[in-house]
Amino acid sequence: MNKFIWLVRREFWENKAIWVMPACIGGLMVVGSLFGKVEIAMLHASDQQTEVAGVLFLLAIGGVFWVAMSIYSVWYLLDCLYADRKDRSVLFFKSLPLTDSETVFSKLFVALIALPLVYFAAADISALLMTFVISVRARLGFGIILWRPELWLQEQVLWLYVIATGILWYLPVVGWLLLVSAWAKRAVILQAILPPLAIMLAERLFLGTHAAALLFRDRLLGGGYVALHHPINWSLQKGEMTPGVWRLPDPVGFLSSADVWIGVALGAACIAGAVQLRKRRTDA
Amino acid sequence: MTSSSPLIEARGLSKRYGSFVALDRADFVVQPGRIVGLIGPNGAGKTTALRAVLGLTTYEGELNVLGREPFAERALLMQEASFIADVAVLPEWLRVQQAIDFVAGVHPRFRRERAAALLAKTDIGARRRIGQLSKGMKTMVHLALTMAIDARLLVLDEPTLGLDIIARRGFYDALVNDYMDETRTIVITTHQVEEVENLLTDVLFIDKGRIVLDCSVEDIGARYATVEVADDRVAAAREQRPFYERRALGKTLLYFEGADRDKLKGLGEVGVPSVADLFVAKVSAERAA
Repeated sequence: MNKFIWLVRREFWENKAIWVMPACIGGLMVVGSLFGKVEIAMLHASDQQTEVAGVLFLLAIGGVFWVAMSIYSVWYLLDCLYADRKDRSVLFFKSLPLTDSETVFSKLFVALIALPLVYFAAADISALLMTFVISVRARLGFGIILWRPELWLQEQVLWLYVIATGILWYLPVVGWLLLVSAWAKRAVILQAILPPLAIMLAERLFLGTHAAALLFRDRLLGGGYVALHHPINWSLQKGEMTPGVWRLPDPVGFLSSADVWIGVALGAACIAGAVQLRKRRTDA
Repeated sequence: MTSSSPLIEARGLSKRYGSFVALDRADFVVQPGRIVGLIGPNGAGKTTALRAVLGLTTYEGELNVLGREPFAERALLMQEASFIADVAVLPEWLRVQQAIDFVAGVHPRFRRERAAALLAKTDIGARRRIGQLSKGMKTMVHLALTMAIDARLLVLDEPTLGLDIIARRGFYDALVNDYMDETRTIVITTHQVEEVENLLTDVLFIDKGRIVLDCSVEDIGARYATVEVADDRVAAAREQRPFYERRALGKTLLYFEGADRDKLKGLGEVGVPSVADLFVAKVSAERAA
């Protein structure tokens, strides 16, 4: 266990962007709220309207961090088993009593658990600071409504739920990226993209169908449809003013989806493959 | 020397990369307490042999290091063995202090105060990043880290590459005086055979993936002899079956293995070949055969 903590600490030493990037994004947001235009119209909105706006505000902040995290995670995963082979420092790490599975799992832990939690914390802190700034600048109204604890609680629960379901849903993608990272001798990004692209093209050329493309699209973008009850705007359009974040998560539907568990199995196979490659490859 | 069980035992050790045979049924044994020089030309299979011993690559044949099968049990093996590969390989982003903390955190046999003492002799600050250090300094940091590990087996693959002569001397002095004792075994490869010649207890010559010679340094004098022969006696000397000869300064130097010294004395000046000379002779003879 102690070894594992050192391995994770090592990842934070090497990849400062893990915390620098969310800190910068949060910083920019807070600066934006300091100097941006505050919509005075909101002051006269009804309670329900401000609550909807408040929820959307929190979700928007979360969304920005989520997108940034997704991009960074892809980069991190592709780099984590490749960079040390490229600069040959893998030979130093392999001279220490660390198994290759311990190494691979430390990277997996950072990508699946540490990174989301760092971004989660950054989103929370940013939202708090922005809310504070806006409430001071606008004196009343919009800011006040954001201080409501149940909205915060809802946001926290939603985040944690999205992180937990995201780990399972994206496991095949994460596993594939790790596999490429452990395999590639150069051009990691290309090697990660080309095989799925080739499969889609081959299917299109020889079968005339595009099942693979749909499959990839659903895996990359469709996690929310499996993990959440159907979208928030629907209830808004029907005039139900409180979107009710509480009602969004659909854990039973998610955990009983075959797509989730097929993905988990594929992901686990890729990760096992990455460990085997890690044992055998010492250069790039 | 043969009584205790060997630290490294390889039988029929082979490794191919595609059609290239890097190791071709090599047999060798390393006994505890020795300093063994693995000597061979570029591409002879030195690094491949060391990689196999350290569990960094798959192989065919039998290999036993510290009672373990290296590839399957690398992490366990690394508790008792350590190595420095052929180039400075510490990651650039690491700080010296972080390197010490990390190794101390993951290695049960690492002695932090020893690493600190070794580094105190240099002027390398603990806050410095590896990437900011000169090549020689990087190697010194790596050596300090490695020498602070209480390992039974230390493998060094071209450890002083890129170091100036003063640093190289310093390194070998530290290795022999501060590190080496009867509980340790060192396997070392280097291009500068002359530099390690005096500290080796055993030599392993390797060429084209095969072991050409496996011999202790003290046995070289008993097994091998050179005779410097004037031109008129070369024919007579050849009757004693030298395995290699070369011309030097108007005379011919003939190399003998297991020859009767008394017979050789009548032919010219008898000597003992240096490790470097013996290496050239053995490899050249092997290639000509």
